[in-house]
Amino acid sequence: MQYEFNFAALAPYWGNFLSGAWVTIQLTVASVALGMVIGVLCAIARRSAFRSLQTVAGVYIETVRNTPFIVQIFFIFFGLSSVGLRMPILWAAIFALVINVGAYTAEIVRAGMDAIPHGQIEAAEALGLTKFQIYRDIIIMPAIEKVYPALTSQFVLMMLTTSIASQISAEELTGVANNIQSNTFRSFETYIVVGLLYIGITFLMRAAFWGIGLIAFPRRRKLGEV
Amino acid sequence: MKLTTLTAVFALLAGAAHADLQQIKDAGKIRIAVAMGIPQYSYIDGSMQPTGSDVETAKLIAEDLGVDLELVEITNAARVPTIQTGKADIVVSALGITDERKQAIDFSVPYATLAIVVAAPEDVEIASYDDLTGQRIGVTRATTNDQDLTANTSGAEILRFEDDATLITAAVSGQIDILSSQSAVIGGINAKRGGTPMEIKFVQKETNLGIGIPKNNPELKAWLDEWVVTNFEDGTIRTLFTQFHNRDLPDDLTSR
Repeated sequence: MQYEFNFAALAPYWGNFLSGAWVTIQLTVASVALGMVIGVLCAIARRSAFRSLQTVAGVYIETVRNTPFIVQIFFIFFGLSSVGLRMPILWAAIFALVINVGAYTAEIVRAGMDAIPHGQIEAAEALGLTKFQIYRDIIIMPAIEKVYPALTSQFVLMMLTTSIASQISAEELTGVANNIQSNTFRSFETYIVVGLLYIGITFLMRAAFWGIGLIAFPRRRKLGEV
Repeated sequence: MKLTTLTAVFALLAGAAHADLQQIKDAGKIRIAVAMGIPQYSYIDGSMQPTGSDVETAKLIAEDLGVDLELVEITNAARVPTIQTGKADIVVSALGITDERKQAIDFSVPYATLAIVVAAPEDVEIASYDDLTGQRIGVTRATTNDQDLTANTSGAEILRFEDDATLITAAVSGQIDILSSQSAVIGGINAKRGGTPMEIKFVQKETNLGIGIPKNNPELKAWLDEWVVTNFEDGTIRTLFTQFHNRDLPDDLTSR
C-alpha cells in the first residue's frame, strides 16, 4: 500500500474551502435559530390542553423523526418546485433543516418541560403570574436550562447534517469538496481537509453554545453548578 | 498444393471474421451491432421494438444493400471488440471517432454527432455562455459539461447535482429551467415536464460519430462512405436524425 500525499494540489482551492465552510456556518446558524423557535412552539403544542394541537404537533414530530433527512430534503426541494414554488438553494436547504431540527428540538424541550416539578408551576399560579409569564419564566427557561447539553449535541449533529444539502446542489463544505476532488483527483487529501474543517466548526459551535449558556442561564454560575 | 490449402483455410477464417462487401451480399444479410439503451440513438420503444436514430440508420443500410438486417445487440463497452472479433459486420452505435479507436477499427465518414448542449424553454433567451450570467443552470457534477460551464461562464449560478437522474428530476420538477446535458436527454425531460418544453439553445461540444468497420475492408468502407454522403446530401439521414434528436446535424458533417 503506497500513497503519496499531495496537499499542495489543493492550495489553489483554499478560497473555495473557506467559502464552503462559510456557507455551512450560515446554514447552521439560520437553522438553529429558527429550529429552536419551531421546537419550543411544538413542545408547547404537544403539552397543550387542546387535543387537535397535540395531534398536529405529534404527527409532525413523528414523521420527521422517523424518516431519513435525505428523503426530507428531496421531498421539500422537488416537492416545492412541483407546486411552482422556487426559492434560492440556500433557502430550500434551510427550510428542510429547520423542519428536521425543529422536530428533534421539540422532543428535547418537551422532556425538559416534563421535568419541571408541578409544584413549581402551582406556586407561580398562586403568586398570580400570568399564563405567559409562567410559560416563559417558570417552564420554558428552566426547561431549556435542564436540557441545554442535549440541545447543544443536537445542533452540532445538525451542523454535520448540513453536508446532505450538497445533494440538492448547495455549495456548502461537502459540495465544495466534491467539486474540488473531481477537479484535482486528490480525493483523500480533500476529505482530510474537509474533515478537519468540520472538526474546527464543531469546536467553534461548542464554544459559542458554552458562551450563550453562561449569559442565558446566569443562575447556574451563582449556584456553582458549572 | 499444401500452400493453397493453407491459404484457403486462412481465407475461410478471414471470411468468418470479416465479411467484406461481396460476402455480405452473398450471405443475404448484414450483422449490425447496436448497443441498446442509448437515449434517442438506440432504445426499446413502447411496443418493445428497437428503435432510435442508430437502429433506423441500420435498417436503411440493410435496405439499400438489398440484404436482411440482423441486429446484434451488445453493450456499450463491447462496441469496438465486437467489430475486432468479427461478431458483427459493422457497428452503428453512437461511436465517437477517436484516434485511439482508429488504431483498432476503421470508421466511415461521420453520419451523426453526439452533442452536449445548453437547453431551456423557448421564452428564456440564451444564445451563448455570456447570456448565462445571473442565470440558474443545472449540471451533473464532475462531467465535461460541468468543466466546460465552469471555465466559460462567469456569474452564473451553477447547480451541480450528483448524477443525471437528480439533474433530470430537478428539471422535471421545475427547480431549474436551464440545464447542460447530452442533447438526447432533452426529449425525455420534455415528455415528463409540464409547461413550455425545453429546446436546445446552443451546443457546447460536439463529437462526430462514425460507422465502425473492421480493418482491411476497403470495399465495405468505400460503399458505406458513399452511402453516408449520398443519404446525407439528399436529406434522408438528416431528417431521420432530427426526428429523434430535435436538432439538426451540421452542414459540413460528412467532410469533417
